[in-house]
Amino acid sequence: MKKTLRYLLFLLVIAFVAYNSVYFKKLDEVKAGTDLFNGRKFAANFWSQKLTPALATAPDAALLFDLLKTDPEQAFSKYGKSMSIGNIKYFLVNGRGIVQSVEENQVIVDVNTKAGSKRVLLATEYIFGNAVRDASGQIDINDFGNSSDLNAISAELNQIIRDKVLPSFLAKVKKGDEITFSGALELNQKYPDLAKIEIIPIRLSIDDSSETKPE
Amino acid sequence: MKLLNTYRPLLICALFGLGLIGCKTRQSEEEPKKMAIVVSTLNNPWFVFLAEQAQAKAKELGYESKVFDSQNNTSQETDHFENAIASGYDAILFNPTDADGSIVNVKNATAVGVPVFCMDREVNANGAATSQILSDSYSGCVAIGKYFVETLNKKGKYVEILGMVGDNNTWNRSKGFHSVVDQYADLKMVAQQSADFDRNKAMEVLESILQAQPDIDAVFCGNDAMAMGAYQALVAAGKADHVKVFGFDGAEDVVKSIQDGKIVATGMQFPIVMAQTAATFADQYFKGERKFPKKMPVAVELVKRDNIKNYAAYGKED
Repeated sequence: MKKTLRYLLFLLVIAFVAYNSVYFKKLDEVKAGTDLFNGRKFAANFWSQKLTPALATAPDAALLFDLLKTDPEQAFSKYGKSMSIGNIKYFLVNGRGIVQSVEENQVIVDVNTKAGSKRVLLATEYIFGNAVRDASGQIDINDFGNSSDLNAISAELNQIIRDKVLPSFLAKVKKGDEITFSGALELNQKYPDLAKIEIIPIRLSIDDSSETKPE
Repeated sequence: MKLLNTYRPLLICALFGLGLIGCKTRQSEEEPKKMAIVVSTLNNPWFVFLAEQAQAKAKELGYESKVFDSQNNTSQETDHFENAIASGYDAILFNPTDADGSIVNVKNATAVGVPVFCMDREVNANGAATSQILSDSYSGCVAIGKYFVETLNKKGKYVEILGMVGDNNTWNRSKGFHSVVDQYADLKMVAQQSADFDRNKAMEVLESILQAQPDIDAVFCGNDAMAMGAYQALVAAGKADHVKVFGFDGAEDVVKSIQDGKIVATGMQFPIVMAQTAATFADQYFKGERKFPKKMPVAVELVKRDNIKNYAAYGKED
């Protein structure tokens, strides 16, 4: 009897060890498990903890446009950011302007600069690309081994703009409104097209009305 | 004394051997470093240009180099790696044939202390290569996708011709493009097929698609060679005037075709930047640097009719 009990205990220990030593998982689950990066969560945290605080030190749009005309090299070296090597650089800006027209894909805004009125496009339809991700210079490429994670961050940041920045602004904005904006823009350092500056909005407000920014 | 006489020949041999080793060591220290440039294929002028640029930069930096053509064949690529390592090459500037199939070659080289710098194409193993210098294909195709939507005014039928299905660039380009275009429900993809980055295959693929889908508005191709093949198929079908073709690479014939209004747009890659960065990284490695970005994206620029004056083929300086 004692011997049987001992064997039983021994078998139980073996079964316990064996059960906890071997795991069966579907290959799909294992593959998915290696890609645990949550782009949406990262983008939401980045938006509130890095990007919007960085707007406090972003240059004034009028100042940047003047500098791009008078000393483009300094403008690019001081304010231009990018994670890639090459000619494409991104800038964060804050500005004020008067709405000239509200169009299908953008809002046209005139910004007062030293050199006169400068027309810019606030993108409202085509919110794509890496401008918002890269313009603050707050993301270190070496923190990411996988380029698809970086692509996901851009896509999620752009989605925040589509979902939370634009709807309330577009519902109210009209020609003649005075607006305050913060945003990101892309310029080619070698061939900067200053005649067509397009800003991806990060924060928008009309006159004295409440700011249209994500909660 | 007797003992010394007995062991004298042995001592002489040992000293001679040590002397030889010393000579050999001094020789290897003094030997100029060499870079092997292993390229997926030299049948495509784009890769020929990449290899030439890497070789030119290596020479400029004072290194000997040799180009190996893998002919899109991973086993040939393995042979090149083995030869390069056995022949004493000190670094490999590498354009992989297959994102998965090439991993083992990279690992074998780095395991014996030969750094590997990937150019343009990546391997699917984080940290396997010393550094990977790659075109930001995804973002480049986001820009193409946006222009595609604008040009088609958010509606129409289109065909996508993919590159090699085993190459990451194929999917990065396709995903970047679709991240934009799929947001517009009135843009319908009526066919998606691979033509292996090959001009003739792309022509055949589109000819066959046009039989079933004669009323398309646009074709998006994963590289410029396929864009030229697609354009040829459209010319043969009498549809070249109204079907818009988009490519990717910045190849010579497409740059000219954008000027002529035959192709709408392409994404300009910069093989010069990739090749020069890879050779420069190898030079820094020889000088003791060990910290390199695991992936270094190179920006891709949208090239279309209104900015074509700024660009020459392969992103060359004018």
